Amino acid sequence: MKDNKTNSAVVPLVGFYWRKLVLFCGFFAVFLFTISTVNTYKADIDQYVPEFGDLDLNVTLEIKPDGSVYIDGQKFKEHVNILADKEEIRFPVLDNSGQYFDSVTINVVLPKEVASVSQYEFLGIHGVGSTETKLVDENNIKFIANDVSSAAILTPVIIMPKGTVQPPMALKAVSSAKSLRAGIWIAVGVLLPLLTLILLFTFIAYQIRRQRVDRPDYETAAPPMALPPALVGLLFHQKIGPREIAATLIDLAERKDIYIVDRERDFAFLKNKFDNRLLTYEKVLLSKIFNTKLISDKEEVDHRINNHLYSKKLSLVTAGINVLGTRLGYFKVNPQKMQMKYLAYGASGFFIGLAGFVLSLKIFSDTPYIAFFWLGMMVSALVITFMAKNIPIRTVLGQGAVSNWLAFKKFLTKNEKMPYSFHSQEMFQKYLPYAIVMDCEVAWAKRFSEQNFELPDWYVTDRDGLSLQDFCLSLFPIVSYVARSFAAIREPGFK
Amino acid sequence: MRDFIEKIVYGGGILFDLAKWFIATVVLLSVITTFFVAIFTVDGASMEPNLHDRELVLWNKNAYSGSKKPAKNDVVVVNYKGDPAHRKYVKRIVGLPNDAVKIENGAVYVNGVLEEQGYLSFDVETMPDGQWQVAADQYFVMGDNRPNSNDSRNFGPVEKRFVLGKALAIVFPRFRLIKDI
Repeated sequence: MKDNKTNSAVVPLVGFYWRKLVLFCGFFAVFLFTISTVNTYKADIDQYVPEFGDLDLNVTLEIKPDGSVYIDGQKFKEHVNILADKEEIRFPVLDNSGQYFDSVTINVVLPKEVASVSQYEFLGIHGVGSTETKLVDENNIKFIANDVSSAAILTPVIIMPKGTVQPPMALKAVSSAKSLRAGIWIAVGVLLPLLTLILLFTFIAYQIRRQRVDRPDYETAAPPMALPPALVGLLFHQKIGPREIAATLIDLAERKDIYIVDRERDFAFLKNKFDNRLLTYEKVLLSKIFNTKLISDKEEVDHRINNHLYSKKLSLVTAGINVLGTRLGYFKVNPQKMQMKYLAYGASGFFIGLAGFVLSLKIFSDTPYIAFFWLGMMVSALVITFMAKNIPIRTVLGQGAVSNWLAFKKFLTKNEKMPYSFHSQEMFQKYLPYAIVMDCEVAWAKRFSEQNFELPDWYVTDRDGLSLQDFCLSLFPIVSYVARSFAAIREPGFK
Repeated sequence: MRDFIEKIVYGGGILFDLAKWFIATVVLLSVITTFFVAIFTVDGASMEPNLHDRELVLWNKNAYSGSKKPAKNDVVVVNYKGDPAHRKYVKRIVGLPNDAVKIENGAVYVNGVLEEQGYLSFDVETMPDGQWQVAADQYFVMGDNRPNSNDSRNFGPVEKRFVLGKALAIVFPRFRLIKDI
């Protein structure tokens, strides 16, 4: 606890990242813009409120050529509804006004001379004595209601021929979208992610074909080059995952930088010595495990994992290995950068889709099937996020390196027991990290199953007589637990 | 306290980790309630004695999609055709397309045949007198509480586009299937 307090004093409570600041400023600007737009929109009246006192109410409702509606000269929020075969006005002009009227007369001015070819009716509920309509001339229709209660709802309905109003482009587009059948939107919602999947799959297949890695028909009994195991894992998987972290831990142990203590239902890591040959990412990983201590037990490791959703240090470890791999010329671009690029595309697409989904349910409440387009977009974005990381980006040098390491993998997985030699044990331990990153640690261990086994000196346990199988069954869960937990808490995007 | 704030800021995971589940749940629920079934709160007494004020009714939004059409006596959710954007009512289908509906002396006749209306209270009469010819693609709807309902008697038959779905069951405060009432 004391230690935590010390750490808290050093590490700022809230990290400060320029990119995040810029991103959130962007979001805030969009938010402000939206709010201001909504407020402008709300400046139009959304309900007509008559002046108090007059028992005979006269209202003029004017439909403009663009389909907008003015009541007594004031712009109303409602608009002419553009349907596939007609255009209509259908909204209450008087709604729960709170006052009684002997008569209400609504004079409707049409944008064109279409009164005689339009259908119209005057709907009145919640206390309306009678209603009637009068055709004044080709431009004017009069709607009259008598004995109108304070709770009454009066709606003049006018169904005009198609083409009476010329709405703005945006409204035309909305109307066109609304007029499409539900089946079309559902099909779009299904086809969009399917198309994305096919395109990406084709692209990845094409890239794999172009960057073909030769499968060697020979084996090499030693690593083809002196690369840290994590880098070999990056070559194979193009990403840093639990296997790469696990291999690094065992490699560090093998190099006597740490000890792994196996206790019953518990484990601990012990720091051994200061090693100036450590690579930067290895130093950071050790600092993540030990902080300033020399011993880090399960409780400590758990605390470090659970105290952070994302860990800057683990992100640094990942970034370090990626940078190393790129500098050595194995990749055309930094694999992490490539993944982040597609993650950004995917996340942007997903959130645009989510916003569109929510807005379409709100705006197109009568034709909500448009939301399927946005759902399709969200799924497509997820497809991009999860699939794009598999796009191969190895250079010719990288492809050659993988090919060489595959020859070594052939040796590790050979279905033949290792002949006994004085160096067998040493060889098993030395190549174990490489076997882990090349997904073949079990096959590698099997090659030694018939030999006497001695525990590595970096593996400390109070149990006696552990066989090779017991050792693997004890070590792998510990290392994979730590590696998986650490791999899961990398801060996305930290460079 | 600082530990707690750190957990919130850096997560302890809970806020950020749950965000994806929150988004997934909201999207899934939105899809279900927009396209499949939703809950409607009865507002008013127009469907007494069968549906009561503030009862929660589960309704099927797909009951009349495509070529499926409302049947007589179905309890339906309809948009008020005078304010379809904001007002929904729950009513009962009394007249189908091309029917002639007549109300005379408290009784309802459809195509000249007296309607059996077992769902009404014993002493309820339908007023006022009137006649309506239901056009193709229109439905004549009425509330079960005839003296206290604004329905097709006031605003005429409604087009199918305003019939949103079929009421299936009352889910609160006591579960009952609509077909049983």
